Amino acid sequence: MKKVLSSILMAGSLLLGGAAAHAEKSGGTLSFLVQPEPPTLASYVSTSGPIGLVMPKVYEGLFDYNNDGTMVPILAESYSASADGKTVTFNLRKGVKWHDGKPFTSADVQFTVMEVLKKVHPRGPNSFREVTSIDTPNDHTAVFNLKKPAPYMMRSFSAYESPMVPKHLLEGKDIKSAPLANNPVGTGPFKFVEWKKGQYIRLDKNKDYWKKGLPYLDRIVGRFIPDASTRTAAMENGEVLYAAYNAIPNIDAVRLKERDDIDVTTEGYSMINPMALIEFNTKEGPFVDPAIRRAISVAIDRRFMIDTIFFGYGKPATSALSSNFKATNLHAEMPNYPEKGDKAAANAILDKAGYKRDGNGVRLKAVLDLIPYGEDWRRAGEYLKQALGDIGIQLELRYEDVPTWLKRVYHRYDFQMNVNYFYQLPDPVLGVHRHYGTDQIRKGTHFVNSSRYSNPKLDALLDSGAGEPDAAKRTAAYKEIQQILADDMPVVNLFELEFLVVYNTKLKGAYGSAMGAYGSFREAYLDD
Amino acid sequence: MTKSTKIFKYVGKRLLQGIPIILAIVIINFFLLNLAEGDAVDVLAGEAGSATPEYMAQLRKKFGLDQPLPVQLMVYLKNVLSLDLGYSFRHDMPVNELIFDRFAATGLLMTSTIILAVGFGILLGLLAAMRLNTWKDAVITVFALITYATPLFWVGLMMIVVFSLNLGWFPTSGMTNIAAFYEGWDYVVDVSHHLVLPTITLSLFYLALYTRMMRASMLEQYGQDYVVTARAKGLTERRITYVHVLRNALLPVVTMAGVQVGALIGGSVIVESVFAWPGLGMLAFESLFARDLNLLLGIFLLSSMLVVVVNLIVDIIYCFLDPRIEVN
Repeated sequence: MKKVLSSILMAGSLLLGGAAAHAEKSGGTLSFLVQPEPPTLASYVSTSGPIGLVMPKVYEGLFDYNNDGTMVPILAESYSASADGKTVTFNLRKGVKWHDGKPFTSADVQFTVMEVLKKVHPRGPNSFREVTSIDTPNDHTAVFNLKKPAPYMMRSFSAYESPMVPKHLLEGKDIKSAPLANNPVGTGPFKFVEWKKGQYIRLDKNKDYWKKGLPYLDRIVGRFIPDASTRTAAMENGEVLYAAYNAIPNIDAVRLKERDDIDVTTEGYSMINPMALIEFNTKEGPFVDPAIRRAISVAIDRRFMIDTIFFGYGKPATSALSSNFKATNLHAEMPNYPEKGDKAAANAILDKAGYKRDGNGVRLKAVLDLIPYGEDWRRAGEYLKQALGDIGIQLELRYEDVPTWLKRVYHRYDFQMNVNYFYQLPDPVLGVHRHYGTDQIRKGTHFVNSSRYSNPKLDALLDSGAGEPDAAKRTAAYKEIQQILADDMPVVNLFELEFLVVYNTKLKGAYGSAMGAYGSFREAYLDD
Repeated sequence: MTKSTKIFKYVGKRLLQGIPIILAIVIINFFLLNLAEGDAVDVLAGEAGSATPEYMAQLRKKFGLDQPLPVQLMVYLKNVLSLDLGYSFRHDMPVNELIFDRFAATGLLMTSTIILAVGFGILLGLLAAMRLNTWKDAVITVFALITYATPLFWVGLMMIVVFSLNLGWFPTSGMTNIAAFYEGWDYVVDVSHHLVLPTITLSLFYLALYTRMMRASMLEQYGQDYVVTARAKGLTERRITYVHVLRNALLPVVTMAGVQVGALIGGSVIVESVFAWPGLGMLAFESLFARDLNLLLGIFLLSSMLVVVVNLIVDIIYCFLDPRIEVN
C-alpha cells in the first residue's frame, strides 16, 4: 500500500509531464463526514477539529508534510536559513491567485503571520513567538527575522496550523469578526460554495488552481450526521466515503474493516500526536505529593485500557513525550511507565510514603473528572476507579458537559484529577511545553498547565529545548525534561491515542499527507 | 352577530391573551438558562484549543455577556418586541435567519407526521372499535402497544438497516442528495424520498397513541343514550357510526393532536439526530451544549407561539365538529 501511495504522490508531482501510465481520474463528488458541525470556518482564529477537516481544502500553507516527515512545497517553493538560524528566507510560488482573482504575494505572508496568526490564532503566538518581523524585498520573497533560532517553527507551516489568508480581505478590519470567516477566499484546490447549516458544506473544484491538472475531484461535500450509528450506516451504504477523527466509532470500525470496500488506517495523525492523560491538581487536595502520582502511573494497566476500551488502537505511553518524537530523536523511554501496570510496586510506593489503609482498605479518597467527549472516556474512568481502588485510592467519577468541565478545570482549578487528552503536535515546543511551563499557568486559558506545576529547573530546560539549533544538545535537553517529568508526574500520561480513518477503497490518493484528514485532498480521486 | 365575526373577535381576544403568556415564558426561560454554568465564550474558546483570557473578555464584551443579567434581559426583550431574536454568536448569523432555515425542515417533518399519525390513528382506532373483540381488533391493539413501547431511536436504526442497507430503497440520512444538488421538481422528489423514513419512524409512536385513544373514545360514544335513540329511530349502523359517533369521538383526538404539536418540536430530536434531519430539535439540543442562549430562547419563543396558535386552531375546529360548542 505504501508503495502505491508514494507512486501516487510521485505521479502527482510529475503530472505536468503528463505521465499517462497512472490511473487518476478526474471528476466526481467526494462526500465525507465532518463531525461535529464546525462553529465557524475561520481556521485562522480557531483550531477546532471539524474546521480542520474542511478548511485546508480552501486555504493553503507554505508547506505540507508527507507521512515520512519530508516537507512538500506548497505556497513556498523553497526556504533557506542563515548560519545563526535567525533569518529564514522563503521563496514563494509565482502565479498563485486567490479565489477572487487577486494575486498571492509576500505581503499576504507577512500580514498572515504578523497580524493574524501571531495575534489571534490559538497556537500561532507560540509557533511564531521568535518572529520579530518579516521583510518583503519583492512579491515572491518573505524573510522571517527571529530573536532566537526556532527549529520547531518549520513543522508548523501546514494549511491546518498556519493557513495563509488574503490581506486584501482582512486588512483594516477586526480580524476575529471579519466576514471572511464564513465566506472564505483561499488559494487552495477547492473553492467554498455554501454551508447549509445542519446539513453540509460544499466545496467545488478551483479550475484556476496553480498546479495544472489538480485537483481531480469536481466537488467535496462535508456532511454532518449527528448520530454515530447513522454515520456508520451511511459509510456502509457508500453515501460517505471518508471518515476521520473517530467519526465512525472504533467498535464499528473493526466491523466495517472486514468488508471488501472499506478499509481503516491509523496514518494521517502524526502531526497531531494525541496523548491521553491524567492531570493532577498539584497545589491542593490529595495529589500534592509526587509519590502518589507516581504510584498511580505505576498501577495503571495501559495495555488493558487500549485493548478493552479502544479496541487495540493506541500505544502505551513510555514518557511524557509521544513515541512519534523518536523521528526527531527527542523521545526517551522512562521508568514509572510499566505497560501492564504493577500494583505491587504501586502499593509499595504508597506504603513507603506513609499512606496507611483504613479498615476498608482505603488510603485516600478523590474525585476523578472525565473529559466529556464521548463514551470511551467514561469507560476509561470506570477502569481507573477499579484499578486505583486496588491500591487503596477510592475514586468518585464526575462527568459534566463541556462548558461546566472547562470552567472547573481551567478557570477555577476546582478539581483533583482529570482525565483528558492533549495534542502534542509536530514538536514538543508546540504541544507539550504548554502543559508544564510555569509561564503556562494561565488561569482561564484552556488546555494549558492546569496542574499549576512549577519547576524553575524544568522551565530553564524547556527554554533551551525550544531555542537549541544543535540537534544533539536538543536531544539531551529533552531527555532531562522527560526524566524530571517521570519523577514528578504532574501529569500521568496514559497512552498515545490512535485515531482512525475509515474510508471507502474507491477513494484513492487522499492518504499521503501527514496531515491526514486535515490535508488538501488535491490528489484524491475516485476509482470505481 | 354572525358566526364568522364571532370567531374573528374570539381569535383576536385569544391572541392578546397569548402575549403575556409568551412574555412570561421568555423571562422564565432566560433566567433558567442563565443558571447553567459557563457561557458561549467558554465553549467557543474550549473548542478553539487555547485562547487567552483577554481574548475571552473581548468576546464577552462583543456578545454583551459582560453586562449584568437584568440589562441583558431588557436588551433581549426590547429586541423581541421589534421582532428581532438577536444574534447567534456561535453560528455567526442572526437567530431569525437560522430558525427560519431550520423551521422549514421541522415543519415538513411535523406536518407529514401529524397527518400520517392522526389519519392512520383515527382509521385504525375506528376499525378496532367497529370490530371489537375480533382478531382485527386484537392485531391493531397489539401493533399499537408494540410501536408505543419501542424506543424511537431503535425503530429509526432498524428502518435504516432494513430499508437503506438491505433493501436500498431509501437513503440513510440527510434531507437532500448532496452528490446531485437537484433543482426544481427533482428537488421536491429528492426531499420527499429522504422524508419517508423519518416520518414513518416518528409517526409510529404517535400513531399508537391516537389508535388507542380513538378506539376508547369510539367505545365510550357507543354507550351513550343518543346512540340508543338513533337505533330506535331505525338508523343504519353505518350512519350511526360515521355521522354521529365518529364526529363526537374525534374531539379528544383533536385535542391531543393540538397539545402534541409543541411536543413534536422537542420530541423529534432523536429522529432528527438518527436521520440527520436538519430541524429545530437538533438545533435546540446543540445550542444547549454550546450555551447559545439567544438561539435557544428564540426556539423556545417560536415553539411557545406555535402551541398558542395551534391550540387556538383546535378550539375553532371544535365548533365545527360539534355545533353545540360555541366560541365566546
